[in-house]
Amino acid sequence: MKAARIAALRRGMAKLERAHPGPPAHLSLGVPQMHAHLPGPGLACGVLHEIAATVHGDRPAAFGFLFASTAVALRLRPGFAVLVAQRRCLADFGTPYGHGLVQLGLDAGRLLLVETKSDKDALWALEEALRSPARPAMVVGAIAGGLDLTTSRRLNLAAATHATPLVLLRSSSATSTSAAATRWRIASAPAALDRFGAFAHPRWHVALERCRNGRTGQWLIEWDHVAHRFCLVEGVADRAPAERSGIRLAG
Amino acid sequence: MLIAPGKGGARIVSLNRAARAGGLVEGELLSNARSKVRELQTRDADPTADAAALRRLALWCLRYTPIAAPWDESSGADGLFLDITGCAHLFGGEERLLANLSTRLRAFGLFPRTAIADTAGAAWAVARHGARDATIVASGDERAALQALPLAALRLGEDGLLLMRRLGLRRIGEVMHQPRAPFAARFQAELLRRLDQALGHAPEPLVPVVEPPVYRAQAAFVEPIMAQEHVLEAATQLLEALARDLERDAVGARLLRLLLFRVVSKTRLLNDAEVVSLDLGLAAPSRDARHIAQLIGLRLHRLGSELEADFGFEAAAVHVLVAESLAERQDRLAVGEANIPPEELARLIDRLQQRLGRGAVRQLHPRQSHIPERAVRARPAAASRRSSPSPRSSRGEGRGEGQVLAPALVAAPHPNPNPLPTEEWGEGAPMPARPLLLLERPEAADVLAVVPDGPPRHFRWRGVLHQVAEAQGPERITPEWWRRTAERTRDYYVVEDVEGRRFWLYRAGLYGRGGPTPQWFVHGVFG
Repeated sequence: MKAARIAALRRGMAKLERAHPGPPAHLSLGVPQMHAHLPGPGLACGVLHEIAATVHGDRPAAFGFLFASTAVALRLRPGFAVLVAQRRCLADFGTPYGHGLVQLGLDAGRLLLVETKSDKDALWALEEALRSPARPAMVVGAIAGGLDLTTSRRLNLAAATHATPLVLLRSSSATSTSAAATRWRIASAPAALDRFGAFAHPRWHVALERCRNGRTGQWLIEWDHVAHRFCLVEGVADRAPAERSGIRLAG
Repeated sequence: MLIAPGKGGARIVSLNRAARAGGLVEGELLSNARSKVRELQTRDADPTADAAALRRLALWCLRYTPIAAPWDESSGADGLFLDITGCAHLFGGEERLLANLSTRLRAFGLFPRTAIADTAGAAWAVARHGARDATIVASGDERAALQALPLAALRLGEDGLLLMRRLGLRRIGEVMHQPRAPFAARFQAELLRRLDQALGHAPEPLVPVVEPPVYRAQAAFVEPIMAQEHVLEAATQLLEALARDLERDAVGARLLRLLLFRVVSKTRLLNDAEVVSLDLGLAAPSRDARHIAQLIGLRLHRLGSELEADFGFEAAAVHVLVAESLAERQDRLAVGEANIPPEELARLIDRLQQRLGRGAVRQLHPRQSHIPERAVRARPAAASRRSSPSPRSSRGEGRGEGQVLAPALVAAPHPNPNPLPTEEWGEGAPMPARPLLLLERPEAADVLAVVPDGPPRHFRWRGVLHQVAEAQGPERITPEWWRRTAERTRDYYVVEDVEGRRFWLYRAGLYGRGGPTPQWFVHGVFG
């Protein structure tokens, strides 16, 4: 009974929200099973989401997840995205490559790359981008170290200014005591092959390690760069692209 | 006294007062001079250092005028022209300016001879050959002032002077009264050109030590300022003054220069950087004093302790070097998320660049090349000149001379307008798989392949052994023949190891074609 009422209220809310066309308050990941663990239908905007690779060698996979979520934001929201990266993060596995970004479904022409010498400068640049009236569609960062409580709180506040989605990639080894809304761990997984046997869609093991007002969980997901959404991979051994479940969004 | 090798041996280049009192003259052979004066102290002339010192002096003189031009060879290369048009009143008139300049130069241990005249040529003549150390030639009096001066005051070459001396012409006045046509027919153009320049009949372009600004504002301080916030405050006031000029002309600054003039102590004779010069490039034209002041603040912050005030700064100037048109703009009528003024992006870029450096904020652009590392170029970001493709951006609209826009006729705005300048990615044929991250330079890897020109079976990169589970390729990329490089043909493979990490490897060179053994490199990683 109660559930039905809540659902009705939610529908009412959704109608009201539709009356004000604007960017949605969540970045939809496209996987209902994941949304069930999160407080809203996707990554909430205006708070910090923290991701890290499981081990250092998985950092490219974490970058993949980072850019995939940026691609979602660029589809849903107007404007440009900002990537702030500490120099060491880029020296490690290389700098984002335009054609690679495009193949991931990200509009490379709408990405501003900011390279900084230190984590301190990177955090400053992140705050600057979040507070800017230019309102980036998304702000993502990559730092070489970890996050502490104070800086993550500052980032939370800065992200709330214009309800900008914010995802930060931190070091996999640093211990983190941050005020992030969610904390994810990303690991590589063998990619899906298309029917010709060519690499078709990247896959990642994602673990939701911490989630404010939600539950933890782990999934094997696949990124569809055309539809700009993730899909859940059911059979782990299967390397065929996952069946697209539910409605397919026009991309 | 300074000497330099010349015709017939070392000759005197420059003398101090004592040497001149001893009857020596410039240009004399050193051996002759030694016979006249017993004890001579000589130093070798160093024209390069002289030129550098003169340049520094010219920079220092920017506090008087934006146009300071060191003399070139033909003018003796030992002085400066200052174009003080419109500047004298700032110092309370020409006399005071001259007195101020002379006093300060004397404090450096120099013996300045100064003159003000309508033309650079006349000022040069009077300064070098006039009777007094400081002369002001009233406007229109050049003719009278030059009359009595020797012909050398016209900056003639050695040959020209010799010829005139043979003709018995010594004073400028004597030449001035000669009929012009026969003179022009018989002598080199130089004499008449110099005469015309001195009298203002011919132009004499000056080559300023720094490019002159389009707009400028400057201020001298009663007390030297030291603290960063005071510098910022002074800069803000100058910017506010500039903003009015910029607004009047409907332009915005694109490139600015902040000049800070140090107090120079007597003990330090014009070192480097008596003038601190900071250039600020903006991502889009602006005349917002507050915004630009913020940028200066960020820049000063980045400089930190490098901005040594020493005894403080006694004057500051802001020059606008490049200005671009910036029309008054009306705020959009509609309110909502999509209506973000495009200059906000430019401001964000500016702020990031001032603190992190210009190269730190970049945008990726595709480039026509099939060599992977050349196919993308990261350029310093700039805001798009055109604003985002929303209805308001089409020019002429909003000026609204009774014009009614039917909503249906206005093209629907792009759902996701992009304020950054865009170029089309992925033109032409679809590109084979490209990595998400590309290494700065390819890194060598030890590869074991089943057949020499087949895909790798396992490889060692950065000391880690990767077992290959899946490999796809090759994609052959040949060097661009129009570039003469030692590049070799590359065979690229996308390789996935057993842990699911994918790498972009290539083998440089071909088997069985002679040449060095092919080598393997890791060039990038996939997400």
